[in-house]
Amino acid sequence: MAAHSSCVGFVADQFNRNVGAGGIHPSRLARPWIATACAFVLLSGCGGRAESSIRSVEASTARDDSSSVVSPAAVAPVTTSSLSPLAAAIVPAGSALYDPRAHTSGAAPVSITLGGAGIRDAPIVAVGVDSRGAFDVPGVREVGWYRFGPRPGDAGSAVLAAHIAFNGVDGVFRRLASVLVGTSVTVGSADGSTRAFIVAAVERIDKDELPAELFATSGPSRLVLITCGGAFNRERSSYEDNIVVTAVPVTTGTQVR
Amino acid sequence: MRKLLGALASIVLLAFLAVPAASAQTGGATITLLHGIPATNVDVEVNGANVFTNFQFGQMQNLSALSGTTLKGLKVKVAGTATVAIDAGDVALPATGNYTVVAHLDAAGAPKLSVFSNDTVVLAAGKGRLTVRHTAAAPAVDVRANGAVAFANLTNPNEAKADLAAGTISADVVPTGASSPVVIGPAKLTITSGSSLIVYAVGSLSGGTLQVLTQSIDGIGTVPTRVDSGNSPVSDGTSTTTLALLAAFLMVGSIGGGALVVRRVRG
Repeated sequence: MAAHSSCVGFVADQFNRNVGAGGIHPSRLARPWIATACAFVLLSGCGGRAESSIRSVEASTARDDSSSVVSPAAVAPVTTSSLSPLAAAIVPAGSALYDPRAHTSGAAPVSITLGGAGIRDAPIVAVGVDSRGAFDVPGVREVGWYRFGPRPGDAGSAVLAAHIAFNGVDGVFRRLASVLVGTSVTVGSADGSTRAFIVAAVERIDKDELPAELFATSGPSRLVLITCGGAFNRERSSYEDNIVVTAVPVTTGTQVR
Repeated sequence: MRKLLGALASIVLLAFLAVPAASAQTGGATITLLHGIPATNVDVEVNGANVFTNFQFGQMQNLSALSGTTLKGLKVKVAGTATVAIDAGDVALPATGNYTVVAHLDAAGAPKLSVFSNDTVVLAAGKGRLTVRHTAAAPAVDVRANGAVAFANLTNPNEAKADLAAGTISADVVPTGASSPVVIGPAKLTITSGSSLIVYAVGSLSGGTLQVLTQSIDGIGTVPTRVDSGNSPVSDGTSTTTLALLAAFLMVGSIGGGALVVRRVRG
């Protein structure tokens, strides 16, 4: 499959075969490709051997070979510019160029203020999951930031969770369910910066049906605050539901309550 | 199961690539085309007509809508010319799985297409996946992370991968078995939990264009299964919660807002 000859060697070889056999039988290698690949190598100045690297399936019709060797001077602009019907199905998928800014670790969130729920500078701690795979909600006076997800303000969903009540003591998110849409939320970071959000939705969701999308690591930036709510089941010492508050970054002109 | 499907898809892909392909049904695979040849803008042609033009180094195109179909006469041409850089013939796009098709240089500097199957097996909480693909005109290399060899003797067009704890590493590339010269990097790479970071070494060593491209595949992590954030009633009873929700619901309902959603209201 591989053409282990240099470009010059290949052309000579091709010539010999033409002379000897009266033309090249269509093979799995598309000859014009080899020729043009050589031309490409010449163009790009890389030199070296032209290898057949492509899963080339179909033989091109054998044409008179010498004309298919394209020299840089022979490169002609294509005059037809109509796109294939397939073009509509193909969409740009962004840049893969390395961007160091995407690889800097920002400061972790350290505090939250949510006046609408009586929360003033409550401390945030970084947490993961516990042995059961559940959110490792911290002590009753702290808010847990899911450290394996985005930071507040990053793309995707930054998730903070805190107790509504634990062992008879009201938790930081005690009044989360009473927050109104439009309320402002401020998150302070370890570097001293603050980020402002505005509440866009307050939901009550069955605890057993908490959607994984709440932990999205890409997509629009949002801040998700979670606590327990709904009916309290005394037998299980547990609430039936989660209260989920979604806030979005404040943009210029946003009406803040 | 996913692995099995991936393996099957690979077999199907190879089978289609080995023989002139018949028409296939449209599938649900994720297929990304990546341009990994520096300083060469290209047009991509299928069946005699361009599907996109002036495709630039480092850019990607999403071909997923065409998964399960066969691209007849796929050619990569130098932009604005009829000069074919890569003639891939008929290429059957797999119907399942996650693939990146990379236009890159082989070890000797000739342009080629390579198809890589992307590992989307779900990651443990706190883990991210790092995959390094050698798609550059360069000999075998070692990839180092924070100064220690992480992937040894990587050759074009092969890959090495590992699931790592989320965090930032400093990566560089050296010739296999050597500590210098550093041919790429050092570059900071952030390993994100639940995300696969695919790093392509591209360009040409002799041409002085070696560099990295990166592709991320998100949403393959494990997230907390539940949030248990209360084991006792609040100080003044639970009814407040419901009343507050009800009040908020009525208020938003009265102003016609749809942002507040109460999925279930219980007495």
